[in-house]
Amino acid sequence: MRGAGAARVIPLVAAGAAAASGVLILVVAADAPSRAREHATREEARAAASLYELPGATEADVLSLLDGRARIVAPEAGGAGPGAHAYRAGALEPAAWIAVEPRDEGSRWPWAPSVLALLGALCMAAWAAGRRRSPPPPRFPAAPAFLCAAMFALVAVTAQQWARGELEAISTSRLAGGLRAAEIAGAAGADPEAAARVAGLPWASGAALGEPDRIWTMPREVGAAIAAAPRLRTAPRYTVAAGGATYHGGSIALGPGPPVRAEDPANNLHLVFLGYEETTSPAVALIASSLGCVLLVSLVLFLLPLAARPRALSRTLAAWGFLTPAAALLLLFTFGPLLFSLWISLHDWRLVDPAHPFLGLANYRALLGDGAWWSAVRNTGVFTLHVPLAMAVALSLALLTRESRRAVRWARLALFLPSITSVVAIAVVWKWLLNDGYGLANRALGAIGLGPVAWLSSPDIALVSLMVIGVWMVVGYQMVVFQAGLAAIPRVWYDAARVDGAGPWQRFRHITLPGLRHTLFFVLVTSVIGSFQVFGLVYVMTEGGPLGATDVAVYHIYREAWEFLRFGNAAAMSWILFGVVFAATWLHFRFLERRGAHA
Amino acid sequence: MTREPRAVALKGVQKRFGDVTAVADVDLEIRPGELMVLVGPSGCGKSTLLRLIAGLEERDAGEVWIGDRCVDEVAPGGRDVAMVFQSYALYPHMTVAENLGFGLRVRGAGTPAIEGRVREVADVLGLRGLLSRRPGQLSGGQQQRVALGRAMVRDPGVFLFDEPLSNLDAALRLQTRDEIAALHRRLGTTMIFVTHDQVEALSLGQRVAVMDRGRVQQVGTPAEVYERPANLFVAGFVGSPPMNRLHLVRGRDGRLAGGPFVFPGPLDHREATLGVRPEDLTLAVVTRPGPGPQPDSVGMSGGAHSSAEFTATALRVESLGSEQRVHLDGPGEAAWVARAPSALRVAAGDRVEVAVVWERTHLFGPDGSRIGAASRPGGASPP
Repeated sequence: MRGAGAARVIPLVAAGAAAASGVLILVVAADAPSRAREHATREEARAAASLYELPGATEADVLSLLDGRARIVAPEAGGAGPGAHAYRAGALEPAAWIAVEPRDEGSRWPWAPSVLALLGALCMAAWAAGRRRSPPPPRFPAAPAFLCAAMFALVAVTAQQWARGELEAISTSRLAGGLRAAEIAGAAGADPEAAARVAGLPWASGAALGEPDRIWTMPREVGAAIAAAPRLRTAPRYTVAAGGATYHGGSIALGPGPPVRAEDPANNLHLVFLGYEETTSPAVALIASSLGCVLLVSLVLFLLPLAARPRALSRTLAAWGFLTPAAALLLLFTFGPLLFSLWISLHDWRLVDPAHPFLGLANYRALLGDGAWWSAVRNTGVFTLHVPLAMAVALSLALLTRESRRAVRWARLALFLPSITSVVAIAVVWKWLLNDGYGLANRALGAIGLGPVAWLSSPDIALVSLMVIGVWMVVGYQMVVFQAGLAAIPRVWYDAARVDGAGPWQRFRHITLPGLRHTLFFVLVTSVIGSFQVFGLVYVMTEGGPLGATDVAVYHIYREAWEFLRFGNAAAMSWILFGVVFAATWLHFRFLERRGAHA
Repeated sequence: MTREPRAVALKGVQKRFGDVTAVADVDLEIRPGELMVLVGPSGCGKSTLLRLIAGLEERDAGEVWIGDRCVDEVAPGGRDVAMVFQSYALYPHMTVAENLGFGLRVRGAGTPAIEGRVREVADVLGLRGLLSRRPGQLSGGQQQRVALGRAMVRDPGVFLFDEPLSNLDAALRLQTRDEIAALHRRLGTTMIFVTHDQVEALSLGQRVAVMDRGRVQQVGTPAEVYERPANLFVAGFVGSPPMNRLHLVRGRDGRLAGGPFVFPGPLDHREATLGVRPEDLTLAVVTRPGPGPQPDSVGMSGGAHSSAEFTATALRVESLGSEQRVHLDGPGEAAWVARAPSALRVAAGDRVEVAVVWERTHLFGPDGSRIGAASRPGGASPP
């Protein structure tokens, strides 16, 4: 009874835990922007107070600085409103407080990821409701657990993207506020140093850039980077990468006389700000926490019903004990690299550059407009058209050799050879055979008076040549599978059809084809998957050429990674290909299951 | 449905598979409208013979005639026959309706005609509610009916049945047997029915052809085959339990003798075999071993008060409810079986007196063929 009760509670626990995981992810994601916003507001209040202390600055200057978010409050007013930061401008008499409201723009909560997380939790709840009706057998709920983990990983990625956007907006506005404060201070007669202090940001004068001894507060490598780029020396806003980080920066003209942005960059005051996003990178924590949460919940779900049954629990633990080495290997060498490639695909990952900035889905977005990639995908699709052709040939051969055992044996021997031969050897031999000048194929054509065909060097023909070789390579294997399928069709159906008056074509149409449909489907799916992954033929024979006519997906990925060293892009391509192959395989397994249920 | 039934004639038909002769020189006439059963042990060639008639096997010699034409060069579909297979051979990917209509469809019949005919047959066989199902969703009995219906739809001149009841359970087999008999009465079509079950053969066939090793051993009505088996094989194959046998040898006095029996003749055979059906023996219990109660004076089985022919010991008694089978340790070396009414009180170990109904016995010559009934032995030597 206890076990049954637990079984009924567990789905609720599962749905609740899924919801809690989602909330946790989102809270972690929202944390960094909220802290950055708070920090920015405090700094703004401090800058406003410093400005107010400047002899030349007026109250209007201060208020204009922060777009009306600042108020000057009397000490007895009891401080600022909720969320505001107050700073005492102590040098003035009477003492006044500057209170600054936090900036309002941007969203405070990652709504889009929240919706995703809600959907995830709803899915879990739906699953849980399904389980409620039939108590779960003691089996690790692998499918929902991994689905949920994937869902929440997606939530984590989008939340991270949201956070990054927020942080960037706050960083930019923080820099803008600093520059504006320095500008007002300069206009009020402050010298560059005083103006920079008001802004509260690392600074250097245009003249001192690139001269390490004269830079006081700006990191030297940043100053050197700005000095090295003439365009930046006069730009009002820029971002600059130095020392493995990206800085937001800007310049204003300060100096004696009216504040005119001089052509002479020596007069400019440069302020830089290390963007908030570089100091916080919560993505790892986000994804790790989401995966961890879901797997932990699944584990608890799995063990809870077993706790009521000690024998089952000990048996299960023993089973997992035996499974652990294999599972560890699987995790380490299969799922580990898989997830690592997913990780790479979310970053700008180049072999030569030690920095791997996070890009979110940008690699995938870029692929949408990548003509070369889609051309490779299209070539793969065209190449895959050799599969039905090969199947037709293989089926005909299987039917022809059906009646004679000796013919079956010889056909198998001859046609199965390509399947057990190294693809490189095959490719090399075919490359010779199809050579434009001395290849056997063109010589044979020449002997009967036909002109040479540019088998592999013509963009129009090369892919077709590869398809013909593809047919030749798979036909033996397919034929053997078809022979097995044909042998499984009871002869008595043919007898019945003959007595019913069916001719050879009708028997093929009504007995053979329906009897082979599982075999046909199996061969189709496995061959199509194999065709999606074609690499060796292309690599050895054409290297994707001529003019990219035989550039197929796997070969394209290979080049992207190992020739152009763009691992991020290559990983994103791999995942798209993986998605297609996975869908095909999943369909296949679904079909097999259905067939199993009907058999 | 009212078609002229066809005659089937086999003239010297032979079929070999490699070194094995499946059908050796068979001559057989099946009359129009007759239900002929081919029966024999497995491997006797009866199924091959049926497939030769259907055209599913190529004959090596001889002729097959269906109706008034020789069909040796005619494809199975053109022979005006329909066949029901042991495994039913329903097309698994078609619905019942499609299975039934397949023969008409491949002949190019129009959809309305097919549907009408399928419905007609489905009504006869009670398949109306199953038309949209697939064979995999049917019970064995239902599949059997669909197979029957598929044969009926084309309204053939000859029905061929290849052990169609073997895959059914016992009760369903009896019921289907009756239905096939009823169907035959109703359609009046020629039917050839292959079975290895001699009970099925005797109960169903108007005539029975008993086959062994590729040859027809005897053709006749069930009564003829049972009461006057042409040879030892037929005698042994037909009837359950099989006929009891006793080997007889001509003694020095010129009389055939075996076991306790000495027969007056016939003298022109050096040896012979006596055959007695188990129901032609009557038993009386005389003594019971050990102290227990002795049998009440005398328990007799069988109606006739024939004097005891020999005595034997009951080795084993099988009770079948309506009757019992008593295994005896005599009369000769071989053990005999007697059928006795269940009222007879007999147990293993009892000494029993056995009488023989001599008019119904059989005497087979050295080549196995039947000579006639054995006459009552002259001087029965004491046991």
